[in-house]
Amino acid sequence: MREFLKSTRFKILLAFLAFLVGIMIYAVTKGGYSVSGASFINTATKPFRKVSNKISMRFEHKIDKINNADKYYNENEELKKEIGILNSQLTEYEALKTEVEELRKFVSIKEEHEDYVLSVPCDVLGYVANDPFRSFTIDKGSADDIKPNCPVVTAEGLVGITIEVSEHVSTVRTILSPDLTIAAVCSSSNADYGIIEGSVMEAEKGYTKLSHLSLKNKLKPGDLMITTGTSGLFPKDYSIGKIKSIDYDTSGLSMCAEIEPCIDITRLTSVIVITDFSGKKEDD
Amino acid sequence: MRIKTTREQRILYFKTIFRWILYYVLIFVSFIVMTSGTWLKPVLLVPIALAIAINNNQYGSVVTGAICGFLIDIACGKLFGYNAVILAFFCIVVSLLFELYLRNKFVNYMLITAAVSYIQCRLDYRFYYKIWNYDNVERIFRKYTLRIWIYTVISAVFIYLVIKLINHFLMPKNHLTIEEVITTKTQQNQ
Repeated sequence: MREFLKSTRFKILLAFLAFLVGIMIYAVTKGGYSVSGASFINTATKPFRKVSNKISMRFEHKIDKINNADKYYNENEELKKEIGILNSQLTEYEALKTEVEELRKFVSIKEEHEDYVLSVPCDVLGYVANDPFRSFTIDKGSADDIKPNCPVVTAEGLVGITIEVSEHVSTVRTILSPDLTIAAVCSSSNADYGIIEGSVMEAEKGYTKLSHLSLKNKLKPGDLMITTGTSGLFPKDYSIGKIKSIDYDTSGLSMCAEIEPCIDITRLTSVIVITDFSGKKEDD
Repeated sequence: MRIKTTREQRILYFKTIFRWILYYVLIFVSFIVMTSGTWLKPVLLVPIALAIAINNNQYGSVVTGAICGFLIDIACGKLFGYNAVILAFFCIVVSLLFELYLRNKFVNYMLITAAVSYIQCRLDYRFYYKIWNYDNVERIFRKYTLRIWIYTVISAVFIYLVIKLINHFLMPKNHLTIEEVITTKTQQNQ
């Protein structure tokens, strides 16, 4: 042993160890960067390591799959169940979110018009089959204090009127129908009056028609038309729709306008019925 | 007098009940289809009522026709009973026609369905739109009534096949009477 410690071999080995320690200390001083030698080796071997790693990973995966097939199968089943539960929760959450949003809108109607007596929000059961004027049925009826000829609205604007009411279902005639006429006035000027009445041509586009306008009217596209409330069927100052275009009537004695309803009547999901309001015409 | 054992009678009874249950399931499904969505849809209940009428007696046909009619009235928002009357009437007529004059063939069924559904669509157009003289009312006929009629006729092909399938398995086959057997034998011997 003493001979070894005194030998040149030991001194060389010691020197080499010192060199390695030196490299280590140098590497520490590089602040996270590789020393040039290590960097070179890494770069040179990178593609080989990549390929070999890929192969080995695949191989390991295969083996792992075979070894743990039962475990993964059970895990998969459990996850599937979990996904099912989460999906149903998500659906429920989405439905609740939509409902809350709808209710918020309806609360705003009540806040703006304190005299209104509103029904509970009604879901649209479905559109009347093959009706060009988009009549639809709602899931509330006389049991919810809804009567025939009650205005049907959303927070955005007027939708129509109830025409047939049974205990739990009502049919609504929309403002696209030529069978429904509403006195309307321009909200900005409060001077240009007309009659909103659906037409076959406009209903195809989801629009309605404003007719009997004076030739001297000052309406322009974009103007909002609101109810006048004079008939007692509809509350005063409720939005109906915006003017799309204005033209002369077929007779040339008056003007008419194309009205885009405030809400897309062809895609309704829920509405609210105004069962009473100040100025409502009482039934005989 | 028909040759039927008690067992055969029981099977016949069961098959008849099951057949009618399937008819009404089909009617219910069609009603649901008609009340869903916003697209134009065929009036499925007309070809169904007629397909049932051509294979059954007048009593069953008229009741089914009336029920289908009521359902059409609900789905299409028409006066309750309006289509029931029309369809019940046509079901009796069609049932009689097929019993007395026409053979139970696909072509005959299609012709009858095309005619009846055209009349139904035409009456609907006349009483619900034309009579009120709306502007451009002909447009409703072209863009709605005719399309619905065409869809209905096309759907009749599938309905015929479904009813045919139900009848194939569940419609009781007529047994020969003793007189018929004797007559057939005699004819064969001659």
